[in-house]
Amino acid sequence: MSNNKVTRRQFLSYTLTGVGGFMAAGMLMPMVRFAIDPVLQKKDGGDFVTTDVAVADITEEPTRVDFTFEQVDAWYTSEVTNTAWVYKSGDSIVALSPICKHLGCTVNWAGDAEYPDQFFCPCHEGRYEKNGKNVPGTPPLGPLDVFEVRESADGLLEIGMAVPNNLV
Amino acid sequence: MLNKIYDWVDERLDITPIWRDIADHEVPEHVNPAHHFSAFVYCFGGLTFFVTVIQILSGMFLTMYYVPDIENAWNSVYYLQNEVAFGEIVRGMHHWGASLVIVMMFLHTLRVFFTGSYKKPRELNWMVGVGIFGIMLGLGFTGYLLPWDMKALFATKVGIEIAASVPFIGGMIKTLLAGDEVILGAQTLTRFFAIHVFFLPAALFGLLAAHFILIRRQGISGPL
Amino acid sequence: MHRGKGLKFVGDSRVLHPSSRKKKGPKDYSEYPGKTEAFWPDFLLKEWLIGSVFLIGYLILTVSHPSPLERQADPTDTAYIPLPDWYFLFLYQLLKYQFASGPYNVIGAIVMPGIAFMALLLVPFLDTSKERRPFKRPLPTGFMLLAIASIIFLTWESVVNHDWEAAKAQGEIREEVSVEFDENSEGYQLYSTSSCIGCHGNAFEGGIGPTLVGTGRSAEEIYEIGKNGIASMPAGTYQGTDEELQVIAEFISTLEASE
Repeated sequence: MSNNKVTRRQFLSYTLTGVGGFMAAGMLMPMVRFAIDPVLQKKDGGDFVTTDVAVADITEEPTRVDFTFEQVDAWYTSEVTNTAWVYKSGDSIVALSPICKHLGCTVNWAGDAEYPDQFFCPCHEGRYEKNGKNVPGTPPLGPLDVFEVRESADGLLEIGMAVPNNLV
Repeated sequence: MLNKIYDWVDERLDITPIWRDIADHEVPEHVNPAHHFSAFVYCFGGLTFFVTVIQILSGMFLTMYYVPDIENAWNSVYYLQNEVAFGEIVRGMHHWGASLVIVMMFLHTLRVFFTGSYKKPRELNWMVGVGIFGIMLGLGFTGYLLPWDMKALFATKVGIEIAASVPFIGGMIKTLLAGDEVILGAQTLTRFFAIHVFFLPAALFGLLAAHFILIRRQGISGPL
Repeated sequence: MHRGKGLKFVGDSRVLHPSSRKKKGPKDYSEYPGKTEAFWPDFLLKEWLIGSVFLIGYLILTVSHPSPLERQADPTDTAYIPLPDWYFLFLYQLLKYQFASGPYNVIGAIVMPGIAFMALLLVPFLDTSKERRPFKRPLPTGFMLLAIASIIFLTWESVVNHDWEAAKAQGEIREEVSVEFDENSEGYQLYSTSSCIGCHGNAFEGGIGPTLVGTGRSAEEIYEIGKNGIASMPAGTYQGTDEELQVIAEFISTLEASE
């Protein structure tokens, strides 16, 4: 130990680094926290949007349902319209997200005449089965997301957040 | 490890002399507050630079949220101040720093003036310094408009009218600053934003570099 | 001392070490008498310690005084009295004086600041003596002290002549208050023809004075305020008759924000 004497110059250099680090931290800490805030902000999701489709009217054939909600994007509030493919499966209602899991294009039910009972993505010819399962051999890597759904008091369909597909 | 990287770069770029030029010199007694307490007046220049660095950093971070548009500018400032974590502090640093930089620069100027440090051979560095002073005032003036609140708008109106009172070319200066002959609005804000964020800082960097290079070449002025 | 690797570049433009530079021009630091100190790390450490203390003070200032934000700019608000940032106040004040405004505006706005700035810029050529001590060169020192004194004086004048409470009130961020009222009612008729409307707005939304919607005060209290004033509103601002004031007070006490 006694052989590793710290010289005065080394000591000063270490102290200097420490003080410099303190100043840099004092300056940058608030700024970095400020910059990474979007990652740390709590999402207060889970809001359901009421559509104008009555649950009783939903058939087993997927139909396109547009629903509009107010989206607050920091200081900018706007009306955003999203789409879901809705059908009845047994007793439950399924609402599939139309966003292709390949590169984010929009899929259509029976969009390709050759596959009338599948979802079809026109961008790279990705296909999904009715429950959203991606057809192997086509570009998508996973099944379509599903929206949370529930029925409102007066029998209208309400659509919530998109969650990973739990039907496949 | 670090030493090896340093050696690798040094072997190719010979950076040690650059480092020496920056760091390896002696500081004379008369500017060292440890020897004469009154020498603290020699700190003002360094503190001005320190606040300037804070201004540059906090300004860079503020533009992550700020929008230079009359519809959204105020809303984005309100949002970043009230909704974003530490937004109040980062905006506060920029706001108070703007005042502090003026104070420190004023004190630094007075120190240089009263110690007669602008005399031969340092005339050029004094003029560069006065240029920096002007740019800082310009940054203060253009930055005042950006939050697009009441005092921003009306103070800028007055400022632009002052510019318009220049004989002969006043009207042209006004139009150039405001972007329109009569309206002080959308185009004024984008112009002031561009001036505040790109043009003046670019000029500031140039003059600061000149200021520091001249100091290193000429050294600090001797004792009185 | 030879520095670095001694690389040779074509047209070497690097700054040379003082020892290999020709001895001319300014003196090297080591030629100053007294105790010199290495910049790195001795002196820089002291500088950074001062910097740290400064930074702490700066952060405390920042945390304890949030930066002000007034309400969104509204070019139609003609009652707003503008004020520049504090370091332009002296110029703002200068333009209030007769010799620097009206037909002489160009003197206050351009000529005087222009002369001052040019003089500052050209100081090294105006003061060319070898003497550096401030007391040995009375003219430059005198002019500078005069300039500082006038800047301080003008700033001071500007500060004491400015109504800071009104300035604070006129820029405050206000909740949008809307109120439904009968424009043909006697109360509103009297209100709109009195001096009240100037400060409290066409729809009681406020202006220089606060909003009158949902004050939570009774008609008697409002009557008293109309008589005797409150805060920055002086007594006797209302100049109508007592009976009319009573009607207005009763009318205002019924105003509640509508949603």
